Amino acid sequence: MELSNTSVFLQKKGIRMREKINESVSVVMYYSATKRVAAPHTISWRNTEYRVGKIGYHHTIMEGKTLHHIYELVDTQGSLWFRLNLDTSNLHWNLEAVHDGNTH
Amino acid sequence: MEIPINHNAPQVMHIDLNSCFAIIEQQANPLLRHRPVAVAAYDSPGGMVIASSYEAKALGIKLGVNVREARLLSPDVHVLTPDPEKYFNAHKRFKEVLLKYTNEVTPKSVDEFVIDFRGSRVLQAGRSLEDIGMQIKQDIKNALGEYVTVNIGIGPNRFLAKLAAGLNKPDGMDRIDGNNLRDIYAGLELTDLPGINVRYEARLNIAGIYTPLQFLDAPVIMLRKRVFKSIVGFYWHLRLRGHEVDMIKFGRKSFGQQYALAKKTRDKQELSRLLMKLCEKTGRRLRGQDYIASGIHLWLGFENRMHWAKGKRVRGDIYATQDIYLHAQKLLNEVPIPARVTNIGVTVFNLRPANPQQLGLFDDSRLDAKSLARAADAVNDRYGEFTVVPASMANMQDVIIKRVAFGSTNDL
Repeated sequence: MELSNTSVFLQKKGIRMREKINESVSVVMYYSATKRVAAPHTISWRNTEYRVGKIGYHHTIMEGKTLHHIYELVDTQGSLWFRLNLDTSNLHWNLEAVHDGNTH
Repeated sequence: MEIPINHNAPQVMHIDLNSCFAIIEQQANPLLRHRPVAVAAYDSPGGMVIASSYEAKALGIKLGVNVREARLLSPDVHVLTPDPEKYFNAHKRFKEVLLKYTNEVTPKSVDEFVIDFRGSRVLQAGRSLEDIGMQIKQDIKNALGEYVTVNIGIGPNRFLAKLAAGLNKPDGMDRIDGNNLRDIYAGLELTDLPGINVRYEARLNIAGIYTPLQFLDAPVIMLRKRVFKSIVGFYWHLRLRGHEVDMIKFGRKSFGQQYALAKKTRDKQELSRLLMKLCEKTGRRLRGQDYIASGIHLWLGFENRMHWAKGKRVRGDIYATQDIYLHAQKLLNEVPIPARVTNIGVTVFNLRPANPQQLGLFDDSRLDAKSLARAADAVNDRYGEFTVVPASMANMQDVIIKRVAFGSTNDL
């Protein structure tokens, strides 16, 4: 199978397929008062910036009394999927997993 | 007495989310869309597939195959482990959509709902159920995502609505009523009917019934006396004709937890530790819904496909985790272990409400144990599961992970 540029890039970083990451990441978030929507806009991870494209699913979970927002989204090129966790007790972002769309 | 077919206008809707867990994963990760996806209990070779996408089903990857077989059927299948919190969230959003139409919404499982529109304002306003169904489909896309599709069945009773929902998957909408009932039955097998499994089919076959139409036309006396040998035969007679017999709401009878061991073992100490965690999870649910039990059941499955199970009623209350563990451990001590254990499950039964409490003259210490259990639950509610645990459960946070109950929505 021919690998996409993103996959080659990820493999150079030692990341393959869908992988648990669990690293702190920098995230720019926006809020639209007209649409009343808040969502991540840009993710900065391992010296690379990714503009957020489509948000696949957003849900919340409780860990004890702490609310976490989970965003599952792809970059604007639609080649890389991220799972982000926003801890509302300290507003820290954690990158939980990435996926390049490949199974191998 | 033969009952005629119900020709009233259908007012029951059955909605089920297509390939629920797999489609939610495809919604969450657009890179998985239009690809074979299997959600498996574990992503190790022996892990069982619990849901698969339509693309995976087309390749033969269905419920119950294991990950090794799934990968043999399609090397490109994406195998994911379940994300219960996400599925519960989807279930809640799904329900919220339906509650906009009527309060008579009954969850049948994490991905199925029945809506009873009898007397609802939307019908009184003159809208057809098909029109409402189309709007529900769109509302679900708005609430859950554009990739999510549902099947809708419309019928005069729950049975026919469920049957209609299964006629055209995915994203179908069908109606069964008194006018097309016979035509629909003519195109189906007995096991296509919800509630008719191969054993019921065999019973019907013995009585000379081989098709749904023959089942429909069978005299009620024959169904009662020869086929089902009980009132169940009369219920089937009504159900097949579109009369409602399935509106009974069953109360809570038991709480239980089970676990498929990632590492099979015959080590009783290890089993005892796993059992403690199952008891803690069972106890949390029991106390969370304010019940006290007085019966306990333990079962084990072995790799040689043998099973062992034993239940007993106990004197006194089962409320705190330690109560459950004490009785479960006693049962575990009785188990002969012929092979490595693959599954273990514990259930408490004989439930009664925890409040009001019946206080005995001499049970000060029991009251303390209950207060302690409630206090520990309060800490765990605030700081997360397993923050406070009995000493024997130390360092077991990830040993038994949260699972999705398919059939039950009692704890959602």
